[in-house]
Amino acid sequence: MPLVRKPSSTTAMPAPDGRTLAEIFATGSDDERWTAARNAAAAPDGAALLADVLSRERSPRVREAIFTALAKIATSESAAVTLPYLRSDEAAERTAALDALRAMPAAAAQHLPGLLNDSDPDVRLLACEIARALPAGDASRALGELLERETHSNVCSAAIEVLAETGDVASLPILTRCAGRFPDDPFLTFAVRAASDRIGSSNR
Amino acid sequence: MVFTETKRYYVERRITERMVATSNPSFSGYFAYLRSELRDEVEQFINAFTVNETYFYREDHQLDCLSTDLLQERVATKRPGDPIRIWSVPCSTGEEPYSIAIWLLENWKEVDAYDIEIVGSDIDTRVLEAAAEGIFGKRALMRLSPELVGRYFHELGDDRWQILDDLRQSVRFSRVNLIETRETRPQGRFDVIFCRNVLIYFDDESRRVAAENLYDNLMPGGFICLGHTESMSRISPLFEVCRYSGAIVYRRPQELRA
Repeated sequence: MPLVRKPSSTTAMPAPDGRTLAEIFATGSDDERWTAARNAAAAPDGAALLADVLSRERSPRVREAIFTALAKIATSESAAVTLPYLRSDEAAERTAALDALRAMPAAAAQHLPGLLNDSDPDVRLLACEIARALPAGDASRALGELLERETHSNVCSAAIEVLAETGDVASLPILTRCAGRFPDDPFLTFAVRAASDRIGSSNR
Repeated sequence: MVFTETKRYYVERRITERMVATSNPSFSGYFAYLRSELRDEVEQFINAFTVNETYFYREDHQLDCLSTDLLQERVATKRPGDPIRIWSVPCSTGEEPYSIAIWLLENWKEVDAYDIEIVGSDIDTRVLEAAAEGIFGKRALMRLSPELVGRYFHELGDDRWQILDDLRQSVRFSRVNLIETRETRPQGRFDVIFCRNVLIYFDDESRRVAAENLYDNLMPGGFICLGHTESMSRISPLFEVCRYSGAIVYRRPQELRA
């Protein structure tokens, strides 16, 4: 039979070699830095260390592990380390940061008011996705306040999409007022109607 | 593992089963028992929550893709006699790793040219014992022709069949928690991983960790097959999407640009 059974693999976790995590990040191989990122999630100064490393790490695989470690730490500090990457010029980097923040919803929520008031509409738009992970009432309240003041139609569209899932009857007049502020935007008119119908039907 | 409000009944039923099994009439008593880690109760508790229903040749379009496309690509850079490593995780009671073995013996013309190692892993030690024993009921065999059943099983009676010893001895089983790198990494790197219908049970953070571990367990250029409703693209940007006629699978790139 061509099928073989081997007792076990020899690819065990490398034994600690006395180097600090910072030293491994500075001089280690991709595999070693990946493992260091994993271990940094449990280190007392993990978020600060990962903040420093993330600013210069180039390997996509290690960067992904760093974002995951920050999500695993899941503190206000580790979320704060992730936030600047929402402003990256690279879409992949923005997505990586957003995915990491969504994986630590409670920590990310602490920064949400600031993000929804950010001067950059792209950041406000991404923040709507972070709101999606909040309890429905909290998400609807935060996005309702945003919709009342938002001047950028794309941000409104993102907020409306989330509100269609989380909103209740209290969201309906907010949606109507938002549509009224953008009478020449057919997509927004459509999105408000679709969201209102959905909220209306789910609250009957 | 995440259970939402809709799974409340399922969770209550499993906990009640464990309370009865450990003779704890109250939840607080059982919870204290669980936390004290007496008699491997944590392991038994995990076992009670895992879903283990499957059958031979489930989603066989992926098995077809394995022999038609994936292994052909993997052996392009191998020499005859080289190892080909395939990992079934979670493997439940063994239907998937044994299906892979039977499928390759039946359908891959180059099967004799390579050393094929199949490893089945699961977090549930109870199902691993059943997998190693290799005894299956009628329902598990429903997708296999009578000829295949006759060729690879012997009948025990009472609608039960056992995988032939040769085949049973050719698959190695191991306990693995997919989110524990210290458990996944010792399994080594694989040419193909079957990881179907498990990531959907993880929360976002655990799913990311598991996906990165699976990436770590793939050889560069190796493939991972998920369940047909799952998408690695929604979990990790590291994998390449590969569309074949029979299945969509994901690949660890040969080399990532730094």
